[in-house]
Amino acid sequence: MNDLVVRNDLSVVSTGSQDFVTIVVAGQMLGIPVLAVHDVLNAQNITSIPLAPDWVSGVLNLRGRIVTAINLRRRLDLPPIEDGKKSMSVVVEYNEEPYSLQIDSVGEVLSLDDQLFERNPVTLDQRWRDVSRGIYRLEGELLPILDVNRLLAFENNGKAA
Amino acid sequence: MDDLLNEFLTETGESIDVVDVELVKLEQDPNNKEVLDNIFRLVHTIKGTCGFLGLPRLESVAHSAENVLGKFRDGDLQVTEDSVTVILESLDRIKEILAGLEATEEEPEGDDTDLIGRLDAIAEGKDEVSAAPEPDVVEGEIIEPVLGRSLKAGEVSLEELEAVFNAAPGPEEAEAAPDPSPEPEASEISGSDSGGSLYDRIGGDDTLAVASHLIASRLGNHSDLGKFFDGTEVDLRKGKFLGLMLAIFKDDLDAADAVGRQLLTVTGFGEAHFDKLLEVIKAALTECQVSADTVDEAVMSFELVREAVITASKVLAESKPNQKGKASGGTASDSGPKEKRKVAQSIRVSVDLLEDLMNMVSELVLTRNQLLQITRGIDNSELAVPLQRLSQCTTELQENVMKTRMQPIGNAWAKLPRIVRDLTVELDKKIELEMVGADTELDRQVLELIKDPLTHMVRNSADHGVETPAERIAVGKREVGTIVLNAYHEGGHIIIEIKDDGRGISPSKLAPKIIEKGLATEGELAGMTDAQIQKFIFHAGFSTAEKITSVSGRGVGMDVVRSNIEKIGGTIDMVSIEGKGSTFQIKIPLTLAIVAGLIVKAQDERYAIPQISVLELVRASDNSEHKIEQIKDSPVLRLRNRLLPLVYLNEILGFMSREEIDAREDADDFIVVAQVGPFTFGIVVDQVFDTEEIVVKPVAPILKDIGVYSGNTILGDGSVIMILDPNGIASLVNAGLGDSEQSEEAEEEQSRKSLSDDIESMLVFTAGDDNPKAVPLALVARLEEIDISEIEVSDGRNMVQYRGSLMPLIMADPRMKLQESGRQPVLVFTDREFTMGLAVDEIRDIVEDEVHIKLASAKDGVVGSAVINEKATEIIDVTYYLGLAFPDWLKSGDTTENSAPSDGTQLLLVDDSDFFRNMLRPVLTVAGYDVVTVSSAAAALALMEDGHSFDMIISDIEMPDMNGIEFAKAVRASDKWATMPMVALSSLASERDIDRGHEAGFNDYIAKFDKETLLRSLSQQFKIKGDAA
Repeated sequence: MNDLVVRNDLSVVSTGSQDFVTIVVAGQMLGIPVLAVHDVLNAQNITSIPLAPDWVSGVLNLRGRIVTAINLRRRLDLPPIEDGKKSMSVVVEYNEEPYSLQIDSVGEVLSLDDQLFERNPVTLDQRWRDVSRGIYRLEGELLPILDVNRLLAFENNGKAA
Repeated sequence: MDDLLNEFLTETGESIDVVDVELVKLEQDPNNKEVLDNIFRLVHTIKGTCGFLGLPRLESVAHSAENVLGKFRDGDLQVTEDSVTVILESLDRIKEILAGLEATEEEPEGDDTDLIGRLDAIAEGKDEVSAAPEPDVVEGEIIEPVLGRSLKAGEVSLEELEAVFNAAPGPEEAEAAPDPSPEPEASEISGSDSGGSLYDRIGGDDTLAVASHLIASRLGNHSDLGKFFDGTEVDLRKGKFLGLMLAIFKDDLDAADAVGRQLLTVTGFGEAHFDKLLEVIKAALTECQVSADTVDEAVMSFELVREAVITASKVLAESKPNQKGKASGGTASDSGPKEKRKVAQSIRVSVDLLEDLMNMVSELVLTRNQLLQITRGIDNSELAVPLQRLSQCTTELQENVMKTRMQPIGNAWAKLPRIVRDLTVELDKKIELEMVGADTELDRQVLELIKDPLTHMVRNSADHGVETPAERIAVGKREVGTIVLNAYHEGGHIIIEIKDDGRGISPSKLAPKIIEKGLATEGELAGMTDAQIQKFIFHAGFSTAEKITSVSGRGVGMDVVRSNIEKIGGTIDMVSIEGKGSTFQIKIPLTLAIVAGLIVKAQDERYAIPQISVLELVRASDNSEHKIEQIKDSPVLRLRNRLLPLVYLNEILGFMSREEIDAREDADDFIVVAQVGPFTFGIVVDQVFDTEEIVVKPVAPILKDIGVYSGNTILGDGSVIMILDPNGIASLVNAGLGDSEQSEEAEEEQSRKSLSDDIESMLVFTAGDDNPKAVPLALVARLEEIDISEIEVSDGRNMVQYRGSLMPLIMADPRMKLQESGRQPVLVFTDREFTMGLAVDEIRDIVEDEVHIKLASAKDGVVGSAVINEKATEIIDVTYYLGLAFPDWLKSGDTTENSAPSDGTQLLLVDDSDFFRNMLRPVLTVAGYDVVTVSSAAAALALMEDGHSFDMIISDIEMPDMNGIEFAKAVRASDKWATMPMVALSSLASERDIDRGHEAGFNDYIAKFDKETLLRSLSQQFKIKGDAA
């Protein structure tokens, strides 16, 4: 990730490319580095945790591991999912703890040229800027890249969120 | 870190711990040869290994200590407290160095000359006559003249080496041996520096060659062993022994094992033979001028191959009898029974590996439970049998893996004798430490965690508990105090008791401290039992020692112990009898990983409560024996004549508000009676399922801040559930808990207070004008600021939606107006279903002061005036405003003349409602009565017992525990208050009620909200009384 930023800052044209899994949350497509994704799950039974922050939807059992489910819509201040629709999840890891990000659907794996990468525009909503690593210009669409570490660094911004 | 060094650190650490304990034993029993030998051996090993690893500082300290110990052993020196202290000191130094070594992998810098000097002084100073032939120089013959000092063990003087060359019979022969040993090197032989392996210290290849020659030739003629070896050539034998010794002394165990197996060609070699073989080896090495210590060590290292040699012989016995038949019956029988003794086999396994293993087993258990759950629903499944088997294996595996993690609790105790011993010296006390059940095993993780608390508690017992010998004799106790540690298993838990026969904990000494620290008031303490007061030592920041010693009392106290124990799911309790001693009892789970959990339900979600904190289950419903009752807002349960404070799980987890809970119809609750430390409380849940073995997994870091969960787990059906933490719940509701627990005390306190002074908290505010107005703070339910825009007008009155219902808003003064915009300060008053807001201009202050109402007022809504904060202040009459807000609140409106009797007429007001007590008190005070209030009939009767007397009693009828009717009967039946006039106050004012009141002995019966009638009745009663007199 640092490499990317450096390259960008120096405006050095690079021919490298990165792989991303695209996900959709409330109509918005987002990218997650493919290596960060451990699992993709269909709707699961989630045990809710009273008194937990509202964007923690609960815990679920993933093959004997207990995974904390994060409601990405709430985390990103998006409207709740429509009734009757079920969430999917992508499982990521942060500080060796598994977290399942609840999303609407999973798209495809894209290999994106570094040249398409751009830093967050300064006008981007603060909440989004906090969790977005930067944006890829795709044809006809923009793909913000979700920074899993910042998304899950609750110690720092958990209270603010 | 270097594996070797690592191993050394572990081993030396263990040895030192043992030496610590043994030394203390030795001090008590100086003539115990066995203990002394053991100590000597351990210190010696430490020294030897240090030399081996090239740790000069460690070695020299260990060496000097060993010197002294050697003198003890030889009887040259008497074991004294002083000398033991110095040796203990040197052990501490060794530990220090070890710690440094562990951190940096190098010996820390430091100067030990002082310590060594003292050790040497002990060794020599008291032994001047014999001028010290050092015990570690072979037979005391050779003293190193060049160095001008005695040799350290492991050192071999040049002369010795020369002597080896010269005196050894035929080193040439050794070289001629058909052994592929390298050429002897001068540098290796002259290894007179202390470092180097056993191999170097023995003297390298040359010495070994000589020794093996000696051994080989002697064995051929040996009376007992000859028969095992005479079958082979002397040279072959020599080669075997040389190879064996090389392997052993160079620590090449695999090779040693292999050579050891080939050593024998004949069967029937048993334990006894091996011992004899060792003697031969020892003798040979000694003859080669190897120092005695090194010989001992060398011989000891032969133990490593003992088994290999003997087993090899046995294997021969099994495979060869038929082929060769060479083994004679005699030899076989003579070695028979002893051979069967197995040498205990063990390997070192890293703790991490065990932890991993345990985790995996935990997972396996979970999966097994899941499978069982699934197949439970299937009949005649072909899975049933294999699953049964799997289940059984898993259980066994789980048990065994748990066992690998089990360690005797004695490991945690190992340091204690030393600590107690040091304390006795420092504090000048005599203490015996008795340890029972040291072999009781528990999980090593738990063991680690209780080590410190235990140490702290034993320190406490020694420091605070046990008295000085003089004190003990003075109270007729044995001079020597005893501290008993006792550990045993009980129902899946381990119980550890720490008992001393000291002075016990004195409640009277604790009391001033408790008050000083603000943990409780004098009044609260007065109402507590001794046991309750003693338990204050578990509160934060408590230390009972009168002066702070270096031993304990550094501000860390039993509270830390308690929290540490509770952290691992344990509990601690204490019984202390002043003058007799104290007993602490710690109850901890055997293992942390798998615990029994009670599964309960709240709001469709299941939760687990660790079984260790669950005392019992009670079912409560409105029509069952057990019923949840309320004291003010606190729900309680009567359980075997005790009041059990309750918390609703639904409320704690935020599912329901208290109002919703109270509003439920036909509530059918389960109460889990839980114990946290000294507190017992009930958790009200919707449903209770069964108990399950659960594997505790920590919660995700983001959930750590939520105190009510201690972890989560996967149940047999695969669902994840949260594990509740009773400690967290208790602390969450602690305020409420404390309240209900102390409610009785608080009441008594209040009654006492009311007798002694008239301090009241008054809320001062303004409304309409600048003159301050005040209301007893106790009457105000809440202070609110209400947005003007939220105020609605309905039925010509101002209303506001407040907590889900409409609340009338009354102006505190007719002249005042609501603010145009912004927020309006409002005092909220609540009584039963009535909630009223009193709008004021400004809330000024809360004043605690003696309030004497000076002037009665004719003004509506004002009780009278008092001086508060040196200003005349109107005390408002809340009942008036309640009447305004709720027309049905008060019935009478017109004021009547009430002839107030002379000052000083004492009334006793008994009412369980705070509101009424607080409301009636000013009213009656203004009318000229002196009022004492109590909140229960029992408290009133207590005043009677205490000899108080009143001119009249005003009592409520509906009160918990003892109602007004019963109270009146009790008063009438008593001899003290039998003729005291009594007036009943009740909201039940039907004909029948009034009759009942009169029957019970009330002189008058008044509807509760009728202030005027009450005052009239009072004066009437006094008139009657006056007339009668």
